[in-house]
Amino acid sequence: MTSLPLSPAIVTDMVGSLFIIIFSFLSLRYAFLLTKKQPENFLWGFLFYFCMTLAAFAVSRAIGHLLKHILLFSDKQELWQLISPISGGTNTLLMISLAAVTIYYHKGIEGYQAINKKARSLKDAYDQLEVAADQLQGMNLHLEEMVAERTLELSASEKKFRNLFNNSKDMVYFSDSTNQVLTMNGAGFEMLGYPVHGAPILNLLGIFKNEDDLDKYYKTLLAQGFVEDLEVEFAKADGTGTYVLLSATAVYDDAGLFSGCEGIVKDLTRIKTMMEQLAASEKMASVGQMAAGVAHEINTPLGIILGYSQLMMDDFTPESEQGQNLTIIERQTKACRKIVADLLKFSRQSESSREDVSINEILLDVIAVTQHSLNMDHINVHQDFAEDLPLIVGDTERLRQVFVNLVNNAHHAMEKQGAGELTMITRYHPDTHEVVATVQDTGHGIPDKIRARIFDPFFTTKSVGKGTGLGLSVSYGIIQDHGGRIEVESPVAVKKSEEKMPGAAFHVKIPVTLVETTSVRE
Amino acid sequence: MNSFRKITTLALFLPLAPLLTPDQAWALQSHGATESIYVHQLAHLFYSAALGYLFWDVGRNAFPGKGWRYLQIFCVLMILWNLVAFSGHWLGFHIADSDIIHPSGYFSSQITGPLSVIKLIYFSATLDHLLSVPALVFLFLSLRCLYRSSDEAEKK
Repeated sequence: MTSLPLSPAIVTDMVGSLFIIIFSFLSLRYAFLLTKKQPENFLWGFLFYFCMTLAAFAVSRAIGHLLKHILLFSDKQELWQLISPISGGTNTLLMISLAAVTIYYHKGIEGYQAINKKARSLKDAYDQLEVAADQLQGMNLHLEEMVAERTLELSASEKKFRNLFNNSKDMVYFSDSTNQVLTMNGAGFEMLGYPVHGAPILNLLGIFKNEDDLDKYYKTLLAQGFVEDLEVEFAKADGTGTYVLLSATAVYDDAGLFSGCEGIVKDLTRIKTMMEQLAASEKMASVGQMAAGVAHEINTPLGIILGYSQLMMDDFTPESEQGQNLTIIERQTKACRKIVADLLKFSRQSESSREDVSINEILLDVIAVTQHSLNMDHINVHQDFAEDLPLIVGDTERLRQVFVNLVNNAHHAMEKQGAGELTMITRYHPDTHEVVATVQDTGHGIPDKIRARIFDPFFTTKSVGKGTGLGLSVSYGIIQDHGGRIEVESPVAVKKSEEKMPGAAFHVKIPVTLVETTSVRE
Repeated sequence: MNSFRKITTLALFLPLAPLLTPDQAWALQSHGATESIYVHQLAHLFYSAALGYLFWDVGRNAFPGKGWRYLQIFCVLMILWNLVAFSGHWLGFHIADSDIIHPSGYFSSQITGPLSVIKLIYFSATLDHLLSVPALVFLFLSLRCLYRSSDEAEKK
């Protein structure tokens, strides 16, 4: 090939120039759409200006090239020579502008990135705020329900503990650091004998009867933080004492300082009485065994003394000095034998017969025998017998002896007064299946200090010669042999009233169906 | 936004500046044809450098999406075009007027023999639109992709 035709280059140049214009404007269109959609986006802004400059460059260059071809086709080379520098210069300037826009993009993009970073952090913060706002809104929505639910729960809990506090049969109290009682339940006030409503302000200093007990309580509480099963005596409103079992826990404030205590107190009066009765019954059992042994040993020589003295009485006239002495010996020996017989009865060593017995009939017999002597001392006898009293199984004679003893004791308690009221009551308690016979007097009563000893053998308050001190001991033994018990009340509580009247009441309680727990020696 | 306005003003007024400048003003300092072609050639180099920078920066920022990859292809093709155009202008100095003849009008123009390497390269350089047109096509594709992806992002 010796030459190269330039016609393909001319065609390519012309067609290419047209395509350049078309694609540059299509690009400009999309760049414009991008900036319109997201005007705040710097990248789209840059691309828009870049495409605009490029489009200007493309138009300038394409027009220049097309003009060149057209003018050269039409053989107007002079005109092209005139326009050529303008076209070339414009192209140069636009190319520099295009480069400048591209370079300038560097600073812009940095600014954009900085703004974008801030925007992202703001968006993150906003998102977090939005999440927090949503949570807050959710919480607000459920807050009312939650408050209502919690209030109900608290109310139920408060009611439960309030009921426990109010209905407790034991004393429950709260005190401050100065031992002043802040709150106490009704059982506590009742235990101390104060009215539930309008009780005075109490202090543990006044409630503890013994200072030593309070000192021990306070020191233990401070040292250990609690007091457990401390047996102390509390002072009641009327000045008397009552034994209680105290447990308490110290309360501390937020700073860890002792601020008071909360305690529970159990009344030990009933338990203490039971314990005393148990101790007494044990003592009676041991005394009974001893008495049985002694009585058995003494009975034989007494029988011999009585026999010989009666034999000797045949040898002397009753008027003689010897006869009178022997009569005295016989009488005193018989007295001794009676004592021995009583001791044997107390220790259940004597013979016994069992049959169906009506307590009402026994009491009527006793009244018939004793009424005369009671009337002599102006003592009125009252009967309050239950009509449908069931029969019990027992020894009529021995039970009669019990009630004669009780009536005689009541008589002695009232005879110094010159008058009195003796009341005999019988009742049936279906819940315990017991027949209760009560012998109640209006005498001087039984002092607390001797109450625990009245069933002891040979214990008596009567003058010498009037009592042997075995009446109540024997009665105790007989009733115990019948599976029952004797309870003492002095002073006597008046029914349906808190008042008490002077005197004493012995309640003999015998089970209707005799349980064969004791060895009945027939 | 002030930066955008400045760029806009610059881009709009710079092309018009020579048209508004009187001939007498050009005479204030003598600038021959050689000087013009040097400025033009420097503009090509400046433009190539700017495109190179744009290519590098797009890659550095790792902008996601096909649109940005198309823009990088555009940069590469335009840099090549700049180099071809630069070569074409430069080789133009080594082509004598007698090397191009017009036997029967402008359309019948030919590069006369014997054909040297310079003449062959010069001929290739006259076909520069074979690079610039695909470059513009990739620019168009790039912007269309960016627009569509922004559209999809908005829909999401």
